[in-house]
Amino acid sequence: MTELSDELLVAYVDGQLARKQTRAVEQVLDQDDVLAARVNALKHAHARLEAAFEAILAGEEMDVSAVSAPPEEGYFISRRGAKLILAVVGIAAALGLAAAGYGWPLSLPGLGSAPQLTPPAPQAAAADNLDNWQDEAVRAHALLSRQTLEVGLESQANYDLVAFQLSRILGADPKLPNLEAQGFRFIRAQALHFGGEPLAQVLYLGEQGGPLALYAMKGGGSDFLTQRTLGRDRHGQMGRGRHLLSARR
Amino acid sequence: MLPRLKRFADVLVGARDAGMGLLGRALQSMLAEQHRYQRGTGLDVWAFGEIYRHWLHELRGHTDPVAQTKIDGARFGELFCLDGDTYFDAPVVAFLGGLPAQQRLTLLLVYGEGFEYEDAGEILDVAPEMIAARLIRISASLADRLSARTPAPAAAVVETLYPEELRGSP
Repeated sequence: MTELSDELLVAYVDGQLARKQTRAVEQVLDQDDVLAARVNALKHAHARLEAAFEAILAGEEMDVSAVSAPPEEGYFISRRGAKLILAVVGIAAALGLAAAGYGWPLSLPGLGSAPQLTPPAPQAAAADNLDNWQDEAVRAHALLSRQTLEVGLESQANYDLVAFQLSRILGADPKLPNLEAQGFRFIRAQALHFGGEPLAQVLYLGEQGGPLALYAMKGGGSDFLTQRTLGRDRHGQMGRGRHLLSARR
Repeated sequence: MLPRLKRFADVLVGARDAGMGLLGRALQSMLAEQHRYQRGTGLDVWAFGEIYRHWLHELRGHTDPVAQTKIDGARFGELFCLDGDTYFDAPVVAFLGGLPAQQRLTLLLVYGEGFEYEDAGEILDVAPEMIAARLIRISASLADRLSARTPAPAAAVVETLYPEELRGSP
């Protein structure tokens, strides 16, 4: 029997050896059944460890997906440890939203007041909600869906590709408005969801101030979108009530 | 990434509710100390490391920190249950439950998360060689147990709760 230490065998099983060393170990294993059995035992142990850790992760993902599921009757109900989970999800959502440069608060179709004259200052709005930030963060988090993260950032510079992705998500054919003339640069679009229905968000930035966000949901027909705008350019040149995200056949 | 962070915290403290508490406190600490994040560091590596450092920090505040690291086997086993099912793999769960926290995390980071030894060492504030040494010892022990082979005697490696640079010579 050739003497190969557990140290070398574990490194081999973990793929930590150089190619030359790997080949040398494989040659030994071909000729030594005892060592081959030991390697199989190590691989088997690792596979069971991986499966055990996967089982934990599956449980955690079920908890998180239960928290971020579409709301029913306007409230969120978690299955286990509701308050703690909401608090943690709120923190994570706040981190994510801050990193993503979200406008705040979000505008929802059919909810809230009329469009504001200027983009809201995110920090000021967040400060107003400090007492109840977890609830606000959870509400915002509930708008996120798998599709939000599945729209690749690398495609965001391509208007046509973004429009195509939104058309697949919304089931209609949106035309993304170009607001360069109004001083707003297109940054990105993403798919949210509200009440189980997809909600498109298109984000622009002007030279200063918070982001300008356009929102659209599928409306009454197969090619009809309901729109809402949050924020205007500082000169107020967008027509009052003008539909900025439109559907076309 | 949140489920991964939660799993890390759960495996560290050995129970779902305690893990949730630790994760919440660590996330608040991360928000407050986000300036410590350095560009070029993987966000997950940084976040896992912050949770671990937060746990260590809290542990040092206890009069008997070693007692705080002991976990309840039954509650640890619940981590591996889905909706009240039986334990996923009782021998492996029992084995993991008997390991010190740092060794559980080493296994999680390398075999659960797929980190390189260097990243796992950065998270746990030890050298990659220490990660390798832990894996050899634990893997051999688990393989012995699962294949019912007589376990090899434990290696004489002393591990503490404190970072490498604060540790005395073994």
